[in-house]
Amino acid sequence: MSATPDAFASVPSEHTELSLLENAWRHRPGILGWLSVTTHQAIGMRYIVTAFIMLLLGGAEALLMRTQLARPNNTFLGPDRYNEIFTTHGTTMMFLFAVPVMEGMAIYLIPLMLGTRNVAFPRLNAFGYWLYLGGCLFLYWGVFTNTAPDVGWFAYPPLSGPQFTPGKRADFWAQMITFTEVSGLCVAAEIIVTIFKMRAPRMSLNRMPLYVWSMLVQSFMVIFAMPAVVIASSYLLSDRTISTHFVNPAEGGDPLAYQHIFWFFGHPEVYIIFIPALGFVSSIVVANARRAIFGYPAMVLSLIANGFIAFGLWVHHMFATGLPQIGEAYFTASSMMIAITSGIQIFCWLATLWTGRVRRNTALHFAYGFIAIFVLGGLTGVMLASVPLDLQVHDTYFVIAHFHYVLIGGALFPLFGAFYHWFPKMTGRLMSEKLGKINFWFLFIGFNLTFFPMHILGLKGMPRRVYTYPVEMGWGPMSFLATVGAWIIAIGGIIFIVNVLSSRRSAHFAAANPWDAPSLEWAADSPPANYNFEHLPTVASRHPLWDPPEERAVVTGLRNDRREVLVTTLMDAEPHHRYVLPGSSIWPFIAAVCVSIGFAGSVFNPWYVIWGSIISGLALIGWFWPRRPFHMEP
Amino acid sequence: MSELKTLDVSHLPPFDISSQAPVWWGQLCIVFIEGTMFLLLIALYFYTRLQVDVWPPPGEQFPHLLLPSLALIPLFVSAGGSYLASEGAKKNNRGRMIAGMLLNLITGGLFFAMQIIQWHSLNFNWKADINGSYVWAFLSLYHFDLVGDLVFTFVLLVAVIIGRYGEKQRVGIHVDSVVWYFLVLIWIPIYLAIYWGPRIMES
Repeated sequence: MSATPDAFASVPSEHTELSLLENAWRHRPGILGWLSVTTHQAIGMRYIVTAFIMLLLGGAEALLMRTQLARPNNTFLGPDRYNEIFTTHGTTMMFLFAVPVMEGMAIYLIPLMLGTRNVAFPRLNAFGYWLYLGGCLFLYWGVFTNTAPDVGWFAYPPLSGPQFTPGKRADFWAQMITFTEVSGLCVAAEIIVTIFKMRAPRMSLNRMPLYVWSMLVQSFMVIFAMPAVVIASSYLLSDRTISTHFVNPAEGGDPLAYQHIFWFFGHPEVYIIFIPALGFVSSIVVANARRAIFGYPAMVLSLIANGFIAFGLWVHHMFATGLPQIGEAYFTASSMMIAITSGIQIFCWLATLWTGRVRRNTALHFAYGFIAIFVLGGLTGVMLASVPLDLQVHDTYFVIAHFHYVLIGGALFPLFGAFYHWFPKMTGRLMSEKLGKINFWFLFIGFNLTFFPMHILGLKGMPRRVYTYPVEMGWGPMSFLATVGAWIIAIGGIIFIVNVLSSRRSAHFAAANPWDAPSLEWAADSPPANYNFEHLPTVASRHPLWDPPEERAVVTGLRNDRREVLVTTLMDAEPHHRYVLPGSSIWPFIAAVCVSIGFAGSVFNPWYVIWGSIISGLALIGWFWPRRPFHMEP
Repeated sequence: MSELKTLDVSHLPPFDISSQAPVWWGQLCIVFIEGTMFLLLIALYFYTRLQVDVWPPPGEQFPHLLLPSLALIPLFVSAGGSYLASEGAKKNNRGRMIAGMLLNLITGGLFFAMQIIQWHSLNFNWKADINGSYVWAFLSLYHFDLVGDLVFTFVLLVAVIIGRYGEKQRVGIHVDSVVWYFLVLIWIPIYLAIYWGPRIMES
């Protein structure tokens, strides 16, 4: 920790103060200690690793599907198995990979970028992770006991209702949602509060890095969108387990209400995934163009506008349900509007790159790849916003092509870029640039080879979710091409894993700020200590690390013998009071286990809602029960 | 390198019981989450209502108005108890904290008891039809929250009475009042929707 080039650490500090700090932030030893960890770097890393395992599972499922579809009349997978695999693929990628990995990155990066020591609610953070892990285990428990959901990733009734899907498959899907949504809401709340109340002194809102803005917008979207899917999945589950009649048409329920409430969540969900990615791109572009972002206010306003507009689009997923014409017109217009705010951001990045001194590293390659693919996906999005075209290609491979262009292009490419960008911060080692560029080209070419032909397949009428097709349809060659592309993506993925594993052990040690980037996370050591900064930094501009060192200041006077941070005011981040964060604790784990028992059990017996609530309540009382010392020394 | 400038914060207090506390903001997030859920549910309730001609379905009577309306009185009084407790927490006045939480628990408990009595007068359950499903969804979700917060308040009350409390618990009492205000406020649209809604829309 002492051999740091970090400018903020150069304030003379007594050795004892540093050892006090290290002691206060030390993890407890042993397996119990491992389960009790509440530091944001550790929890963030657990999210990221778990989510990447989910990406591998979801990717393997995609390969199985592509292999089945490689030629007409293939018998590699049967229809039932195929249904299970495409459902599990979509569910895994949306709920267990894309959202959690973005949350994990934020949990890791946001406190560092804000110049503080942890998130605002470290125990809630740990609780959220354990519930997310519970959701992963729950879904794959179903998958590996032949109870995988098989009704599509949005599980429309009546197909998913008790009449047409007896058994437990749809219940596993619905309850997995509950696990991940509670976890997602925990993260959103703590990210918002961390951003609002724990920024470095003088980091006023208009000095926040764009990534922090993107996570703020994303977290608010989570708070307003995820309650909707909790309602949707609860409707489904209670219709199936305690015979309510919300969405079951056989009993007078309204299946369209399910579609409305699901997509009221489902459309913002897509932006919940890609808005953090916009923040990644901004960070990568600024660091590698070596200049400030072009049009910061326009970027921030576009992000916020994206967040708002996202809630006014959901009906474009339902154009085929027969809506009043005024509704169709409204949702067409609002869907096209999103192109404006996205376009503004694209132009701002291009202007930044155009006028910067560009360093073409792997991370920037991924940002370029993002721009290319995302613009294509956006264009098909504008096409799909038009009702006649949407009706023509509804439920075809054109839609598959569109949303993989926006999701893989819009979220996965920036995520890989972010990984190359921040890997040195997280591990203290640089990733191999040579392997990185090979990795990029495999993914880029493989991606386009897989998904571009799907546009054409869709226009030729190939419906999604068919497990095979006859020769006469003429879809064989394009499908084969897509399958080849999928395997090229898989090779790209293997190169990425090799790069990560070999770079972790390599001798390419990273300095604190290898890219000469301007934001505060680069002022911490690589990898950061548990307490992030020896002295919390203050901020005098939008680019604190590009300011001359003599203009920087650090915070002194925080106690180092406990986990103390600074709370600042909402707008201008003036210091307000000191705040002692809770330390390691096993209670979040115990509480998550109790809640998981309630969630998982209620799929089989509704009484588990009651028993689960009681044991969870007891666990929460244990969590919050007052412990000595009751009074805080000043 | 020359010495850096410093910003000394040692004079700042190590806690704060007000809307500056991070926990207060966290609680506000939970209020937004639950508020969104209830308001969406109300919207869906009316969306569903507009799809059918006869509501509630034949054989089902409107929920009675008298008892749930009378129950509003203890509910509103209970918010006063929360206020008393949170002001006591800010000033570290133990007596006021205990009195406020007791008032909150007694009146909140009375509200809950009156609600339970009223449930028995409903002549349909959640399995009856979609109206029953919605009414019981509101009732069960809302009262789940209500009982959860009553239990939490009770635990805080015990901690204060036996003297196991400090600044963290006082912040807890303060933010507990935020939740309770929310529960009182959100009941108003739910109450209007399930007790008055079907009557007004019938005429």
